[in-house]
Parts: sequence; C-alpha cells; structure tokens
Amino acid sequence: MYSRGALVDLLIKSNVSRYAEFKNIGRILTCRNGKVEQVPCSRADVFASKQLTVVEKRMLMKFLTFCLDFEQHPEEYQDYTEKPFREFLKNKKLTENLQDFILHSIAMVTQQTLMEEGLKATQHFLRCLGRYGNTPFLFPLYGLGEIPQCFCRMCAVFGGIYCLRHSVQCLVVDKASNKVKAVIDTRGQKISCSHFVVEDSYIRDEQRQSTAYRQISRAVLITDRSVLPSDSDQQISLVTIPPLESSAPAVRMVELCSSSMTCMPGTYLVHLTCSSSGTAQEDLAPVVSELFHVSTIPGEETSVEERSKPAVLWVMYFNMRDTSALDSSSYSLPSNVHVCTGPDGSLGSDCSIKLAESVFHHILPDEEFCPPAPNPEDIIYDGDGPQAEGPGFDESVNTEAEEEGAAHEKSPSTEPAEMDSVADTTPSSEE
Amino acid sequence: MHGRVKIKSTAQQEEEKRKEKEKKLKAFVSARDAVLKKRSAGEHDEEALQLTRQLLSSNPDFATLWNYRREVLLHLETLREKDEVQKLYESELHFIEACLKVNPKSYGCWHHRTWVNTRLPQPDWTRELGLCDRCLSLDERNFHCWDYRRVVVKASGVSVEQELQFTDRLIGSNFSNYSSWHYRSTLLPQLHPQPAPDSAPNTSPSPTTSPQFHSHRVCEEQLLKEYELSHNAFFTDPNDQSAWFYYRWLLGRAEREEMISCVYVSREGERVSVAFSKPVHAQSEGLMLVLDGQPQQVEWRSTHPRLRHSPVWLCDLPPGSISDMSNEHNLTIHWTEKHTHRDCALYTGCAESWCRDSATNLELFRSELSVEKSSVLQAELQSCNQLLELEPQNKWCLLTIILLMRALDPLGHEKETLAHFQTLKEVDPMRSTYYSDLCSKFLIENTILKMEYAEVRVFSLSNKNLTTLCHLDQLLFVTHINLSSNQLLRLPPHFAMLQCLEVLEADDNAIENLEGLYHLPKLEEVSLRNNQICKLSDLESLASCTKLTRLDLRGNPVHRTAHIESELSQLLPRVTALSL
Repeated sequence: MYSRGALVDLLIKSNVSRYAEFKNIGRILTCRNGKVEQVPCSRADVFASKQLTVVEKRMLMKFLTFCLDFEQHPEEYQDYTEKPFREFLKNKKLTENLQDFILHSIAMVTQQTLMEEGLKATQHFLRCLGRYGNTPFLFPLYGLGEIPQCFCRMCAVFGGIYCLRHSVQCLVVDKASNKVKAVIDTRGQKISCSHFVVEDSYIRDEQRQSTAYRQISRAVLITDRSVLPSDSDQQISLVTIPPLESSAPAVRMVELCSSSMTCMPGTYLVHLTCSSSGTAQEDLAPVVSELFHVSTIPGEETSVEERSKPAVLWVMYFNMRDTSALDSSSYSLPSNVHVCTGPDGSLGSDCSIKLAESVFHHILPDEEFCPPAPNPEDIIYDGDGPQAEGPGFDESVNTEAEEEGAAHEKSPSTEPAEMDSVADTTPSSEE
Repeated sequence: MHGRVKIKSTAQQEEEKRKEKEKKLKAFVSARDAVLKKRSAGEHDEEALQLTRQLLSSNPDFATLWNYRREVLLHLETLREKDEVQKLYESELHFIEACLKVNPKSYGCWHHRTWVNTRLPQPDWTRELGLCDRCLSLDERNFHCWDYRRVVVKASGVSVEQELQFTDRLIGSNFSNYSSWHYRSTLLPQLHPQPAPDSAPNTSPSPTTSPQFHSHRVCEEQLLKEYELSHNAFFTDPNDQSAWFYYRWLLGRAEREEMISCVYVSREGERVSVAFSKPVHAQSEGLMLVLDGQPQQVEWRSTHPRLRHSPVWLCDLPPGSISDMSNEHNLTIHWTEKHTHRDCALYTGCAESWCRDSATNLELFRSELSVEKSSVLQAELQSCNQLLELEPQNKWCLLTIILLMRALDPLGHEKETLAHFQTLKEVDPMRSTYYSDLCSKFLIENTILKMEYAEVRVFSLSNKNLTTLCHLDQLLFVTHINLSSNQLLRLPPHFAMLQCLEVLEADDNAIENLEGLYHLPKLEEVSLRNNQICKLSDLESLASCTKLTRLDLRGNPVHRTAHIESELSQLLPRVTALSL
C-alpha cells in the first residue's frame, strides 16, 4: 500500500492502525535485458546507483524535482497535455534508460497513458517517498488480509457481531417494496435486516446483467532466494516487468521475505499480477521462467545461468475476475443489497475505499465514515445494558482477500436466536 | 462492552495537566535546594547520588549537579574495591544513557561519560562505539557524538579502515551529511597517504624541489575514487554544499614554503626592505643581516605602526655603509628560525637592487587548488563544465570552475573568469561583495603576473571594479601604480609596503582613508581626484612622505573645509603643486 493515500489516511484517522504492524518495502526493482536491477527512486539511491551516468543522475533528479510540484510550472508541459507521457519524457531529453525507469517503475503507467496522468502518478510516488522509508510502499505483517481484519476488530470492539463458519443462503425479499428484509443462513436461522452488504463472488449468474468480465492473471510462487541478492536477505521488493510488446500489460511482482510473516524462514513468497490476455499460465509463465529456475525434471543438469536464479519450490497460476468496473446497475438485485466488487488490478486501494465509503453513505447518510476511535483513557463507562448507538459502524473493507459478507444491523435489538418458520416469509427465496 | 462512551472534555484535560505541572515543579525545586545544601556541607554520600540522579533525569543540562556527582564518585572510589568500582561506574554509564535520551546534545552528559571512561578500570569501548552508532543514526550531525566517537576510536584503537567504511555507510544513506565528509577527510590521509616525492630511502628528508609542498595528502589512486564519489554527490544534488566543500579539499590547498621572497636595497636612505612569504614578527624570527661578510646590528621596523605582524620589514644600515656608488656590495638576510636566507648584490653605479622569486615561478597564485597535476585538474574542469551546462545558475559549480581555471591558467582564463563572476553576482546577490572582493584579488594576481612578464615596474589596474586591495607585499618594487576608476574605499596600512612607489593615481574611487600613504620614501606624485576625502585629518599621514611635491585633490568633499588651502600648506609644506 502507498504510504500516502486513502487507505493510510483511513487507518490513521480511525486508529485502526494500532491493530496492525507494517514493514517497509525495501526496494523497487525492474527487469531489463534479462537482468534484475534496482530502480533508483530516492536521492540516496540515485547517488549510489552504478547504472546511471552522472549526467543521467542530474537529469533524473531535475525531472523528479519538477514532478513534485509540476502544477507550479505549467509552461513546462502545456504543449503536451493531449500527448502520451512517453513522448513528454523524450522531449525532456531523458535517456531511454531513464524513460523506462520513470514510465514503468515510478509512475507505473503504460505507453499509452497521457501526460497529465503520468505526471500525477509520478508525483504521488514521490510524495510517498520518505514518509516511512526509502520507498513509497508499506506492507502489513502477516499479509494484506490483515487490513480487513483490523477493521473487523475495531468494529467488534464497538459492538459489531460476527457469525463465523456459516454463510447466507437466501434472502427474504418483501414483494411490495422490493427490499430485503431478512436473510436466512446455512443453519436455517433467520436474521432480519434493513441492509445487506455482500461481496461480488456470492452473487449468482442469474442476478447479473452480463457475464463477460475483465480478468486478472495471477501467479503465486514459493522460492528459495531473492531475485536480486543483496546484503540483507530480509527485504520486500516490488518488481515491475515491462511488457515485451507495447500493447501488452506490465507484470507486477511482489517478493516477500520471511520476516513479513507470510512464509517460512529460508523461503520467499512471490505474487505476480497482470491484466489477462489469455490464461494466467500463458500470461505469466514466460516471466516466471525468465526470472526463476523452474525445474522440469527432478535431478536434471542445470546450467550455471539457471542455477544463479532462484528456484521455484511451488507455483500456482489462476485467473481472477476483475469486477471493479461494475456498479449496482450491473446486477438485478433489491435496492438495499450493496455489492462490493473485488480488487482491481492497481497497486493502491483507493477504489475499494471509495466504494466502502459510498456504500456506507447509502446506509447511513448522516454519519461520519470511520471517525477516530476515542483514546481508551478518555472513555467513561456508564455500565447500563445494551444502549442505542455505538460510536460508529464500520464496513468490512474487501481488498485483496475474499471475506464473508457480514450482515450489519442498524438497531441492535439483534436477537439472532429465533427460528421463524418458513411460512412467515414471502416465498421468493433467492441467493 | 455495553457502556456508554463519554470522553473527557478539553477543559478537564487541561486542568489536569496544569495541576500535574505544578506538582512536578514543586518537587524539582525542593530536590534542587536539598542537593545544593548538601554540597555546600561537603557531603559525599549515596543520598547525594540519589538526589542528583532524580534531578538530572529530567534536566541533564544542570552542570553543577554533574560536578557534584563527580566529587561524590571520586570519594566513593576510595572506599570501594576494584570490582565494585567497575560496577559503580557501569551503572553510571547506564544512567548517562538515560539522560542522553532526554537530551542527546547535552554537554554535561557527554563530558561526564568521557570522564567516567577514564575512571573505569575496564572500559568497554565496543559498547561505546555502539552507542555512537545509535546516536548518529538518530541524528547524523550530533557533533557531541562525533567528538565522543573520535575519543573512543583513539582510545580503543579501532582501525582507520573500519571508520572509513562507517563513513561509506553514512554517506551512502545520506550524502548531505557534512560531518561524515569531514570525518572522511581526516581518515583518508591516514589510510592512503601520498608517498613522499623523494622515495629513495637512504637520502635524508630533503626539501622538495617544488616551492610548494604538501602534507595531509592522499595518494592519487584513492583520490580519483574520491573525485568520482564527489561527482556523484554534486550531480545528484548540485545545491548540496557538503560535497562541494569536500571536493575543494580533495583538489588540494598547498602550504607554501616559508621563505624570504624579496630583498630590496636602496643606496638612497641606505635602507633594506625584506618581504617574507607570510606575515612575521621580525624581532622574534632570528633575522640576521650580513653585509659584505660582516653581520650588522640593525633595528627592524614594520612599514606601518598598525602592522605588528607584517610580510614586509625595513631596516636602516649604518650611515655610509652603501652610499658610495662606486662600491659593490653583497647583502645576505638569514632567517635563522626557518633555516633559509636570501642574497642580494648591489652593483657599482646602481642606486638600488633587488632579488626576488617571480610569482609565476613560485606558482604563487595557484595555491588555492594547486596541488594536483594539470591533467587531473583539466579533467575535473571538464566534469564541472558538464554540470554547468545542465545547471547554468548553480553558484557552487561556478565558483569551483573559477578556482579550477585559476589553478590551471590564470591569465589564459581571465575573460571566462570575469564572465563567471558576473553570473555569480546575479545568481547569488547576497554574496556579491564577497565575489567582488574575490574577483579583485584575482585581477590583482593577474596584473602582477603580466607585470612580471613585461618586466616593468608599473602596476595598472584601472576601471576593473576593484573593491579591495591585496598582495601588496608583492608590489615592493613597483614605482608607478594606477588604480583609477574603481570602487576602493581606502588605502589600508598595508599600502605602506610599496616602498619604491613614486607615482600614485587613484582618481574616481570612493577613498576616504589614506592610512597606507605612510613614510613612503620615494613618493612624489599623488592624484586622488573624485574621491571621498572629507577632513584635513584624513590627509595627515601624507606629511610623512617627505618627497611628495604634487597632490591633486579635486572633486573631494574636503575642499569645502574652511581655510583648507592654508591648512594644507601648513601640513604639507613641501607640496608645491596642489590642486583642489
């Protein structure tokens, strides 16, 4: 996650950050001409880089300084507003080397991206630098699944109720208002509700307007070494692999060391992502074999070149639906059913947070979204029974992990115990 | 948790804070009074340690308390066994560390820690070094810590190489750290010293053939690596001055050999003038004057009473020693303190004679950056010019280029240098006076070189925006000087070193002070039109110039003074041609 941005702001603002620990991503890498290299993004990196000439160093620093507040110098870019970012970089006399670095590893945009978007992306990257470390990124210990967990924990502290190990089987819809008034879970319990928030993958095809989606190609590997050995073997690296043809998408890779608490000591966990053209294996296997050594026959002779690459101990390829572009019009569902789409292909979580906020405001238009939780020292307890409002309702933010949609209730007269007979409900049960 | 959540109001919180503060202050004051009372009673006990600990923990800058603590500890030392003393001081170290967390820049703490390490039977220098590492990682420029580190390194014999690697790390993570570069400059010459020019092991250390010699220098191979490091720094951030200063140090500042640069003898007045390579106090230098093989008893005097340390000194020979034009004389000045001397021969028929090394041969004006070989300087100039193309307004780059050009070829690069100074004044107007003065200095140097080349005794530097005068000790033998149309404000006492001066032209300046026109024995003609001479007293020193006959003061405010003409003829009776 970016060290400045909607997610970090939210974590800090709501004090949810105290439920998680984070590690800096130590370096940003790229793959050029078959070699893995470090992308110099901070001043110290540029200074120490052996890949850049002194003149290139000056040009890069000059350009990055300009990007930091480019809005103050419109004369530098006003001729290029409708042109691609790549052309703009060329015009600024940056060498091919530097153009690649900036386009793929700093701005992380495509060849077709227009200049303004490219500048904004570069600016965002630079503004995130140095806030917590040498790169703009943080990673939560124990994996990205920790983020939704933290929010859930905060919610539970203030009265949210979690029902584990069973899910919703059908909705009870009031025919007159076409609104959901209750759900029935897999154990047959009926829970009345005024809103229902659910993640996309639970929706059946019958409720969708179309079933054609973009896909994301994913690969997960366990390896024995880092792609770029260095003094420390406990670094998290973000790697951008530029596409071989300009129309193909770039592949993004995160290499996690064991101290990120995601894999065993002595191994690395590697995630690869790109937007799909074919199956995940078709899209990603070439990259995997370029960077890693995949042994096909046990005990076979490996060339020196191969042996220098990290060995893949386990690999899995899969495609995921990218439902991020969908909205409520893509489903035929009652109006008080709120669908949370899955993650999009981008690096930050802005899209998920925006969605969470809009769903929240649909449900509770007058409440503040994720207000800061009070300092425990300042809380005075009254001690009477279950009261009306808690300080705020949280949404479970669906990011990279898939979570069970938890049913939230407005009035806490939540008596989950009754077993209503099926005859009480109007018989239009749908999943 | 089903309780209602109520949060304390801000007013409540503030009141609580105020009460706490008051309580703390009361406790502090009473403890302090107790301690000071104990000290004046001369009590050196555990209670004293406790009380001072309490106070110092919150205020580690209270120096008196550290002093008292030392008194107590020294006393306790006498009562304890050696291993107890070790423990005592080790716990003291822990305490100091806690205080350092409160104020990592407390003079008292660092001083006390240094002291404790001198008392410890077995100091643990590894731990001390670790403490330095930690403090520096929190604040790279904590000079207390740097000083302490130097103490630790010296006491514990940490290798220079290790320390050099330490600077590598620090500079790698943040090259804006002046302290690290500075430390590096002290380590490099120890690790990679420049081999002595005479490498033959059997010869006794002989003076170098070049008039400049250099200690504290680094061998060439390492230097080239350091140049590269500096390039990386100032190309990445040309506005960071740390790297530029380090770079200038690398390029070298030679130390001039100490010697007598000029001896001048005049039959008229039977006077000997001696110029030294640096300002001296003649009476303490063991100077000996030998005339025709006979040591002479002479009194040395400075050219101006305000110059007690001066590069130029005068003495008068006994009357009749050299007045006869038909005699030839040989004069030697011995500078016994520096084991050097200079000879001067006065030939028959010559009224005067002098002997000096030329500034050109001495490479006198290259001493800013002169140590390196021309080829290296040339390559460095190229790199800097490359940067200038990318950053035409960067003052550090401009200034460094100027210094490099002066080191390589002061006369050949004169035009470019002046152009760069102009740019410098535009991009850095806050320091424009500094640049003007520096430019003046360089122009004076160039004029001296040209004068030597032309073998004349006329120094002419008019209309060059001169703001200051320098190297006047090099103008001992000049007879005519033209400084008109500049921006000079005064003729300082050093001007009195121009012992041979006959004609001075300094029109169109802003001169208000003529202190330096003092006892100039040959001065006949002075033109000071359009300056700022305001009072009669400004002209007093001219009375000492006994040969002065022509004086032009037109265009000066002094002409408005009442009765100025009669006053002046009283002050300067020998002046026959006076223009007001």
